[in-house]
Amino acid sequence: MLRIAGGTVYDPANGVDGIVTDLFVDDGRIVQPAATVAVDRTIDATGMIVMPGGVDVHTHVAGGALNFARGLVPENQRAARKFLHAGDRRAGLGGMTPTTFATGYLYAGMGWTTVNEAAVPILSARHTHEELHDIPLVDKTSLVLMANNEFVLDLLEAGEAERARDVVAWLVWAAKAYGIKAVNPGGVEAWKWGKNANTLHAPIEGYGKVTPAQIIESLAEIADALQLPHPVHLHCNNLGVPGNFETTIETMKVLQGHRAHLAHLQFHAYGGSDWGSMRSESARVAEALITNRNLTADAGAVLFGDAVTITADGPWQHLLYQLTGRKWGNLDVENETGCGIVPYVYKDRNLVNAVQWAVGLELLLLIDDPWRIFLTTDHPNGGCFWRYPEIIQMLMNREFRREEIRKLPEMARQRILLADLDREYTLSEIAIITSAGPARSLGLSRKGHLGAGADADVTIYPAKPDHGFLFSYPRYVLKGGTIVVEEGEVRDVATGREFIVRPACDDAIEDYIRPLFERFYTMSFANYPVEIERLRHPEVVNLPRHP
Amino acid sequence: MITLTLGDAPAVPLEAEVLSPDTIAPLSLEEIRALPVFLGKRQRRVADFFAVDGESGDVVEVHGDLRRVKWIGRGMSRGVLRVRGDAGMHLGSAMTGGSIEVSGDAGDWLGAEMSGGMIRVRGSAGGQVGAAYRGALSGMKDGTIVIDGSAGLEVGMRMKRGTIVVGGPVRDFAGLQMKGGTIVLRSGAELRAGAWMNRGTIISLAPIPLLPTFSYAATYNPTFLRLYARRLATFGCAIPFDERDGAYRRYTGDAAVPGRGEILVWQPRS
Amino acid sequence: MQPRIADTFAEAFDMSAARVVITAQSPRWARIAAESMTGFATSVIGCKVEAGIEVDLTPNETPDGRPGVSVLLFAFDAGGLGQRLVDRVGQSVLTCPTTACFDGLPEAHERVAVGGLLRHFGDRYQSSKFLDGRRYWRIPVMEGEFLVQESFGVQRAIGGGNLLILARDQAAALSAAEAASDAMRSVGVILPFPGGIVRSGSKVGARHYKKMVASTNDAYCPTLRGRADVTSALPDEVNAVLEIVVDGLDREAIERALRAGIGAASRPGVVEITAGNYGGKLGKHHFHLKDLTS
Repeated sequence: MLRIAGGTVYDPANGVDGIVTDLFVDDGRIVQPAATVAVDRTIDATGMIVMPGGVDVHTHVAGGALNFARGLVPENQRAARKFLHAGDRRAGLGGMTPTTFATGYLYAGMGWTTVNEAAVPILSARHTHEELHDIPLVDKTSLVLMANNEFVLDLLEAGEAERARDVVAWLVWAAKAYGIKAVNPGGVEAWKWGKNANTLHAPIEGYGKVTPAQIIESLAEIADALQLPHPVHLHCNNLGVPGNFETTIETMKVLQGHRAHLAHLQFHAYGGSDWGSMRSESARVAEALITNRNLTADAGAVLFGDAVTITADGPWQHLLYQLTGRKWGNLDVENETGCGIVPYVYKDRNLVNAVQWAVGLELLLLIDDPWRIFLTTDHPNGGCFWRYPEIIQMLMNREFRREEIRKLPEMARQRILLADLDREYTLSEIAIITSAGPARSLGLSRKGHLGAGADADVTIYPAKPDHGFLFSYPRYVLKGGTIVVEEGEVRDVATGREFIVRPACDDAIEDYIRPLFERFYTMSFANYPVEIERLRHPEVVNLPRHP
Repeated sequence: MITLTLGDAPAVPLEAEVLSPDTIAPLSLEEIRALPVFLGKRQRRVADFFAVDGESGDVVEVHGDLRRVKWIGRGMSRGVLRVRGDAGMHLGSAMTGGSIEVSGDAGDWLGAEMSGGMIRVRGSAGGQVGAAYRGALSGMKDGTIVIDGSAGLEVGMRMKRGTIVVGGPVRDFAGLQMKGGTIVLRSGAELRAGAWMNRGTIISLAPIPLLPTFSYAATYNPTFLRLYARRLATFGCAIPFDERDGAYRRYTGDAAVPGRGEILVWQPRS
Repeated sequence: MQPRIADTFAEAFDMSAARVVITAQSPRWARIAAESMTGFATSVIGCKVEAGIEVDLTPNETPDGRPGVSVLLFAFDAGGLGQRLVDRVGQSVLTCPTTACFDGLPEAHERVAVGGLLRHFGDRYQSSKFLDGRRYWRIPVMEGEFLVQESFGVQRAIGGGNLLILARDQAAALSAAEAASDAMRSVGVILPFPGGIVRSGSKVGARHYKKMVASTNDAYCPTLRGRADVTSALPDEVNAVLEIVVDGLDREAIERALRAGIGAASRPGVVEITAGNYGGKLGKHHFHLKDLTS
């Protein structure tokens, strides 16, 4: 048994708010101390801060799109942080699109222990799982792209809701995923015709009836019906476009009565009517989120500096390419979805980027319930995940935030409200937005807290006044009870598991899918579903039949 | 002067960017021997491969069959580096000053992305001389590379400034996506010289095949070439410029970009 | 009989100077461009710049290995000098067949744009080459290309060094002045006036016309000797005076020139050699004639 002695524990899920107490770890779990079990190691955590390991609810770290991005920016790879092969550490590259082993070392090195790969096409899910397996030291979940899947859209068009539910169930298991991702519903389908889906209630290209709103509502219903632990995870229509806050608020209306999680909300909270008049509408969006208690969101905050945008939102990425005039990658995933990749630099002298930077922070500060808004940068779209500590610093330190605001162009300061926001996050609130909240939203009951029975994913920080520094360099990180970071040294001594769901599904649905597949896909049906044997450390959550 | 002599040629590439005047000049012989080099993925010591002798200074001489020794002179900013033998890839990559001399051949990526200094190769070089590494916006930003022998593909690819002179023939895509600077081809080139050229000058002293997107402009003796000729004469390279000896046919391109580069092809007076 | 050397000094001023090296296909065309460029440049008062040919240059001495001429220009400030360079190179060198134009003060820290502004004549068809830390513009012209360096150096210099040759008659004055002018031309100096000689030496302001900047130096005008309202500085035997003005890059160059000029002007018919000054109140560079004859 391992004892973490005398640390100041923040476990908001269990009401523990900065109490000096001991924690006990045995067999990979947090346990109550038992007199019969000897303590064979003690970590002296006196004066240190103990939190549950970080949970990243939305990131892009593995799979075909990521790998395409890695190849698109070799100049970034050359400049990236190098992880040299040594002893128990594999080689890798950090930077904006870290390689697999480096991804694990970077997350664990920062104190994060669970990671949700937010966008997986079924067709290349096998590749995603291979890469996820190669990410050490963290547990993983992944979400399969569904909102532009032609089998599903065709069924929605035909009004066959039940069959659509069964097809989705079958596809989720075929992909060996944990949940459903919806990206620009209808828009990526329209992109196959060079178009987009900008209006929630207008039929999408190629269809007579199906609208983005209908796709959203149907997928939310399906997620509820299948009792997925995590609700439908939605990247709204009109991402990035000035004035899109209206689409976001309308989307929330469409979702009423259903659970949902809104991804990278920052990119969906803009006012104005064009790039020249773009402004923050974070207040309206925050208010709407607070009112719709069925919804959670993650921030998708932007940080100044280099980024690589990688999303399934093909038409948006093409627009971004036209704005930058430099590199662009576009992938079509037959019958299912798409992907666009555009390297981008956020500059503090750029008016639009300055507004974006402010909006992410505004949402985090305005939404006062930390259980509803989580810390992400939509890595690597808004900024690299290993820069989360910079955001934490700005949330906790009002003066530092104000200094950063002073660097913005004068005109930008008139388009944002950040300077008027006084709130400073407490450590407990930080523990919620980085761990307890995302874990609860993902339905991972053994993550995000330090109560008995929880996975022993624990991060121990030195207490330092500069909070950004504090969060950059944990003194210890435990993953499933194994010390994987000690005195700042990362040790590759633990593999993570992959959580996947098996929705209840009528097997007969395969008879419906197979002939369609064989007619419209370019691969053989037998090769389509990912075999469970491909996942070397799966933890399957079998879901009950819908009532 | 410090002398390093390679014993047996390594079986796999040896990465030895520590072999540069900047790194070596301030060190004692013992410290030099202890410098790290990478044999494949394993870290070793300079002394495992080289005999080290001499007195500290910023002249470094390396002897041996160094064809598999990469990154010699990487990023150097001063001093003199002499290779007595053949050198491996990435010789003088990203250097900013000082000079490198090779008695034999050099590998690919000679002087890639350099921004100052001088490289002289008595033998031949590989491809991507003074070029941009994949994905980077520009190749060499300044400096001079003189190769007495021939060179390979993509000589001066995306170079922005500086001068490359090649005595022997070069292969395809010399000056690919060139942004500036000057390439002198004393023995001409194979195909597609100047492809996607934006700016800069390719001077060929022998006839070369030209892309259809290059247009003939005029036959003349540009004055600026006299400045180059004088400068290159200091390295023992002569280029013709006098109207009594001939003239240059000027071709502008690459219209596919559209670029404002030029290819000057020498036409001797018959 | 050797002329008297007056115990006085020439008073000269701080100026800014630039050197332009003009090359061409032949010495003839380099000279033509230089003469055109340095025309109407006798005094800053009326011409805004003082300019003249310094020396001829052999092919070995020029950047492009062709025959050339070096020209010096003097003005009161670097900005003004820069504008004069653009005007004169643009109108007289750019326009002249086979020329190229280079900076002759490469060590000077202060720089002014010349090719950097003239390049616009190329209407976006121009290009540049960067060699050894300097940019050269190639401006497409009907004859081919005009090569001009982007920036030219400007340095502190001295203007207004002078000698006054007091002779028995006009012929003797001219003969002495011509000999002095020939002897004084050397590296580092120019004689901006026609043939190097001023026949109408001036004084600051005027006695009778309020607004004049300069007027005839009545103390040295032979026909005004004897008038009650003129205090003549002329000895009785003097019937003609000619002045030589010299601008130079530094003190040594002017001293050398003045010394050579005094020597060459010391010939029969010359009564006295003197120099003009303002009591030492206006210019800070003083050249005492006695120091130049030892």
